[in-house]
Amino acid sequence: MTVALDKNKVPKRTLRFQISEKQLPFLLVLPSIIIILAVVGLPMAYSLYLSFTDFTMTNAKSFELIGFQNYANLLFKDRLFWPVFGRTILFTTLAVNIEFVVGLGIAQLMARAIRGQSLARTLMMMPMMFAPILVGFQFKWFFNAQVGLVNNLLYTLTGQPQLIPWLIDKNLGFITLLVAEIWMSTPFMAIILEAGLLSLPQEPFEAADIDGASSWQKFRMITLPLLMPFIYTAMAIRSLDIARAYDVVSMMTGGGPANRTELIWTYVNRLAFSGQQFAMGTAMSYITVIFSCFFTFMLFQNVLKSRWAGDMDE
Amino acid sequence: MSEKHSFSRRDFLKVSGLAVLGTAAACAPAATEAPTAAPTQAPAVIGKPFDGKTVRMHAITGGSYDELYKIIPQWEEKTGAKVEFVFKGNGFETDKRLVQDFAAGTVDYDVCWDHSSFFSQYVKADGLEPLDNYFSAEDLGDFIPRLVDAARRDGKLWVIPRHYDISCMHYRTDLGIKAPETWDEFKATAIQVSKDNPGVFGTQFAGKEEALTGRFYEVMTAEGGSLFNDKWEPTFNSAQGVKAATMFAELYAAKAMPPDMTNFLWEDVANQFVGGLIGMYTEWFGWYGYFQDPKASKVAGKFDIARQPKGDGGVHGGWAGHHGFSITKAAKEKQAAADLIKFLTSVEGNELESKMGILISRQSVWDKLIKEAETSTDPLAKKRLELALLEAKEDFKTPPLIAEWLPLSNILYPIVQQIILGDTDPQKGLDDAAQQARDMMSKAGYY
Repeated sequence: MTVALDKNKVPKRTLRFQISEKQLPFLLVLPSIIIILAVVGLPMAYSLYLSFTDFTMTNAKSFELIGFQNYANLLFKDRLFWPVFGRTILFTTLAVNIEFVVGLGIAQLMARAIRGQSLARTLMMMPMMFAPILVGFQFKWFFNAQVGLVNNLLYTLTGQPQLIPWLIDKNLGFITLLVAEIWMSTPFMAIILEAGLLSLPQEPFEAADIDGASSWQKFRMITLPLLMPFIYTAMAIRSLDIARAYDVVSMMTGGGPANRTELIWTYVNRLAFSGQQFAMGTAMSYITVIFSCFFTFMLFQNVLKSRWAGDMDE
Repeated sequence: MSEKHSFSRRDFLKVSGLAVLGTAAACAPAATEAPTAAPTQAPAVIGKPFDGKTVRMHAITGGSYDELYKIIPQWEEKTGAKVEFVFKGNGFETDKRLVQDFAAGTVDYDVCWDHSSFFSQYVKADGLEPLDNYFSAEDLGDFIPRLVDAARRDGKLWVIPRHYDISCMHYRTDLGIKAPETWDEFKATAIQVSKDNPGVFGTQFAGKEEALTGRFYEVMTAEGGSLFNDKWEPTFNSAQGVKAATMFAELYAAKAMPPDMTNFLWEDVANQFVGGLIGMYTEWFGWYGYFQDPKASKVAGKFDIARQPKGDGGVHGGWAGHHGFSITKAAKEKQAAADLIKFLTSVEGNELESKMGILISRQSVWDKLIKEAETSTDPLAKKRLELALLEAKEDFKTPPLIAEWLPLSNILYPIVQQIILGDTDPQKGLDDAAQQARDMMSKAGYY
């Protein structure tokens, strides 16, 4: 005996999700989030975990959790951490501000150039085309005490042999690193600021012309306020970039001699790899990253404020 | 009003599957062309001891190092095995990779390059196989004993020495310099040479990293000091250590050393010497060919060499190290690996390396070389070889064979730099370094 089944009467067994319009975007980006968590999140979480251990390269199979001891040692016992941290802040502050002033000047000139803008921009950006390690090597040679370009130039100008130890002296070493960093990265600041200058509306300037405003007044009262979102963005990017300066410093001085030019990332490298205190190096990295996050948050708050102020002015 | 989307479980699985596949495709390495020919396999030859086996090798590379690898095909032919290089890099890169591999447990090779200053780290990480069962006393009989001693730790043999390097005093005869007998004499001579020869510095040292720690260690031990006592407590802040550090500081203060010396490494000091800017200094034998090359060197034929000065301890300086090969604990072909190492450190291998001016590890090859040098046109050829052999037999001193040598160096050298530059007093600086070293050794479980 056969039984004929009416397919239409068999209920189709389906489980259906009800997804709101608000939930759909989250669902669509979920695969990306999972991948980012796996590729970025897990290693970060593991390195954070390591920062709470006594892990070194030679005790990789028998390390133990030691809580916040690495952090406490760095913040309260390590004699180099705070001087190095302070030097990094000073280095970043000076480099960013000098790059800003010089970059703004270059951007103003470039924005007003009538001919040869493309060539000028290409030439201006050339320092950015060099790998930082090559820039470090080049400046190391410039500032070599015995055969360096700078001392030879001074010898030519003064007629007296000059053996200035640029890379060794406490203050000069810091300044030479600044010079190299500024030379390499000012074009970045200039190009962002020039883009900002070229995008500014012309009406406020025309109105100021009618009111008889001087060039300085126009610059201070119109250009700078309108340019602020660009300035903050460029400074935020450069600050983070300089705060993790490593290649140039490593090549020119290696943070030395006698820790005189040590910045935070050369110190991390010294601790984590040369000194094999891997967990301590990781803890220092996290302290630095937390400070950087706070700094970036503050800067972007200012970007938003300046943008909001610009909208209100309009 | 929010519109409701209907999304079945099947739809969800489809979307997720596509996303995963897409991601996998994006993350996959770019497609590469199929190799034009299959990797060559050792032909199966009856009677060859390691037929069809592959020995994987983690090696150092560089001009003189690579020459030795050219005889590997002979070993492959003899044994039926193949050698595959899994990594080649300079010494520091190789060390860094080895430390990381042993820490991460990712060792997939049988033989690794090794160094007397580094192997203790690998032993502590439980990464090496003791070699005592693979090398008999007869196998080791021809090696210079101090080199083999420097490859032992905890009563076991870990490295088979391939070649070594040690330093001797290089001094300019065209400036009328006489070889100093003691470090005190060395200091006085260096200061005088600087005064008498404008544009020439009396001496120099490589002024940073392990290079500086090693030179400090060398002078201090000659003065009778030591880095540690038998309980592994730091003792380099002793009177002998202070005397050694003070010598560096006084030479710098007297402008008898280049002003940027604390930024110099090996190639920098060698370039200073060939540039005619230095009166005398202690340097590795390995640079000899460069110094005597008239195309590259202003001092070719204008210098002599001597045993390193003695200190108050009555011994000569002799910081030294040797390169060699080890077998990893994770090795799959340990017997074949041991046989390969025997071949590379054989008389034949040593003779090949010696032709490039490298100081090799076998006594019999030394005897032959010294005899051949009697007919050389180079006036220093025989003296150089005899001196290098004498120093290997009597002065050869490695750093302490502990995994903490490089971390110790990392503590010590910035403080020796501070002392040289006058940032701190020698006693205070070394006391500070000793305290840091004690903390490090305590954390490492020594006490």
